[in-house]
Amino acid sequence: MDTPIVPEAVAEASIAVPLRPPGLWRQGWYRFRRNRGGMLGLGLVALVVLVALLCPFVAPFAPNDQSAMLRGAARKAPDWVHLLGTDRNGYDVLTRVLYGASTALAVGLGAMAVASVIGVIIGGIAGYAGGLTDELLMRFAEFFMVIPVFVVILAVVRLFGIVVVGTWLESIPNLNLMTIIVLLGCFEWPPIARMARAEFLRLKHAEFVEAAICIGTKKRDILLRHILPNALPSLIVLVALGIGGAILAETMVSFLGFGDPKAVSWGQQLHFNYEALKVAPWAVLSPGAAIFVTVLGFNLLADGLTDAFNPRLRR
Amino acid sequence: MGTARYIARRLIFSACLILGVSVILFAMINAIGNPIEILLAERPGMTDEVIESVSRYYGLDGSVTDRYFTWLWAILRFDFGTSIIYNQPVSEMLVTYGLETLKIQIPAILIALVVSVLISVMAATRQYSRLDFGVIAGAMLGHSLPGFFIGILLILVFSYWLGILPSYGAYSTRNMLMNSTLIDGLWHMVLPVGMLVFFNTATLTLLMRSSLVEVLRQDFITAARASGLPERRVVFGHALRNAFIPVLTYLGILFGVMLGTAPVTETVFTWPGLGALYIMAIQQLDYPLIMGETMIITFMLVGATLLTDIAYVAIDPRIRLA
Repeated sequence: MDTPIVPEAVAEASIAVPLRPPGLWRQGWYRFRRNRGGMLGLGLVALVVLVALLCPFVAPFAPNDQSAMLRGAARKAPDWVHLLGTDRNGYDVLTRVLYGASTALAVGLGAMAVASVIGVIIGGIAGYAGGLTDELLMRFAEFFMVIPVFVVILAVVRLFGIVVVGTWLESIPNLNLMTIIVLLGCFEWPPIARMARAEFLRLKHAEFVEAAICIGTKKRDILLRHILPNALPSLIVLVALGIGGAILAETMVSFLGFGDPKAVSWGQQLHFNYEALKVAPWAVLSPGAAIFVTVLGFNLLADGLTDAFNPRLRR
Repeated sequence: MGTARYIARRLIFSACLILGVSVILFAMINAIGNPIEILLAERPGMTDEVIESVSRYYGLDGSVTDRYFTWLWAILRFDFGTSIIYNQPVSEMLVTYGLETLKIQIPAILIALVVSVLISVMAATRQYSRLDFGVIAGAMLGHSLPGFFIGILLILVFSYWLGILPSYGAYSTRNMLMNSTLIDGLWHMVLPVGMLVFFNTATLTLLMRSSLVEVLRQDFITAARASGLPERRVVFGHALRNAFIPVLTYLGILFGVMLGTAPVTETVFTWPGLGALYIMAIQQLDYPLIMGETMIITFMLVGATLLTDIAYVAIDPRIRLA
């Protein structure tokens, strides 16, 4: 065997420099930081999160304060007391927009949490097991991809709302919103399952996984500690995109009047004020703008994450 | 021959998809509760006799599996039963309202396609120029604007502030514009179609530009240029055709999104299409209409997917080998 010729300087340097290269996440962050669009998205998302957390402290009024109605100040144009005006129900528009952020985030995160769990389990099993299991599970996922999701959600929310009357389910707070979240999760998993399958399939034959199998690592540890963490970057892009999509879907359900009457959501604001669009456009424009900013934030974030974690796709 | 077999295989697969969806839908709706009980929840005070005859009339009696197969056999013959609130055959209503929906959606997707091709050619041939960045930014913004919010903005600007376009309906109720049904109809289509065009153009441009940029870098484009072809023919003849392939899949998806969110679009513009009908059906708990609509929308979605699959073969000869 030849002894490799290493100049002394290089050999010394390799000793001096810590041998651990930056990890997957750190590398991704280095690339993400340089992406202006991605950073803007991160900023917008951070803003929405901040608003959701701080809304009880920054909102000028209580979210269910309709006292403007009594003063005859409903549908009032923006002024110094009501910075974004009041709507036709006497609510302060700014307050409702701020409180809507937490509902939107709850929907987005909740729905994608459900979708991720289902998607990773189904996709992971399909990718790792392969063969007939893979074939069956992926065909099953395909059925879910052609179901007209939004239309079905509307029907299920409405019918479910009737069935629960008089049962113990009625005592669950925000049941209607929960239903929407779970339904969105139950329908949005196929893209995640497909990606999880592809990643598990790829990583199954990676050298480090084969090494882990050789030293007798338990199957559970191989799946959860070796394969899953390496599949996460690709999945996270889809989750970020999905959060925006879920928020939009909830907004549309609420806009049509099938949302949760007890929750403060942007879609509901649009629903209640759309008829008064001509008289009080500010009550429609503000929640609309809030939806736009939130969805844009998550879309940009997802875009930046794609560039950061799949540099080969970079254009 | 390969093409015929490919199409046949896709057809069989589409039929299986529709069958699968019908099982999932039926199981889901019936898992929530017995349809006749849901129907009665908001129509109290009926005697047992009436309930029994009503459930027989609408085919809601018998076990779940019996009902499923009766229903499946009926929809295979394009018979969706009778609407409870309108007392009309659901299949006829689906055709009438479906045509109104397609009337705004098909022009919208065609216009969006042409516009996005033009924009993305301009942007991709000047990659990293100011125009290119402007197009990317604009498309990203447009892509994130909720479709129905665009509609609301259009109504606010063109109907309420400028007062030049109608804000609701498919036809004028009293005086037709220029006394012509055709012109009046087109006049009413402008805003809803405009909204859908805006939404689709943004998404299509994002995809088409990045696809085109990638194709323009490939060797065969350099070869085409080197052979002395005019740039216009290189871009429109060679590059565009190849860049179009990934976009094609998305056309089917976009059509699905449009169709799926038709209830929102048609609520914003009070358009008398499938979406508005659907809202009515679920508000009034019209079980046959709800099932019929979800199935017809699934049919259309699967049909659109099938069409894109077939169009693939026409554009990309490599698919035939697969």
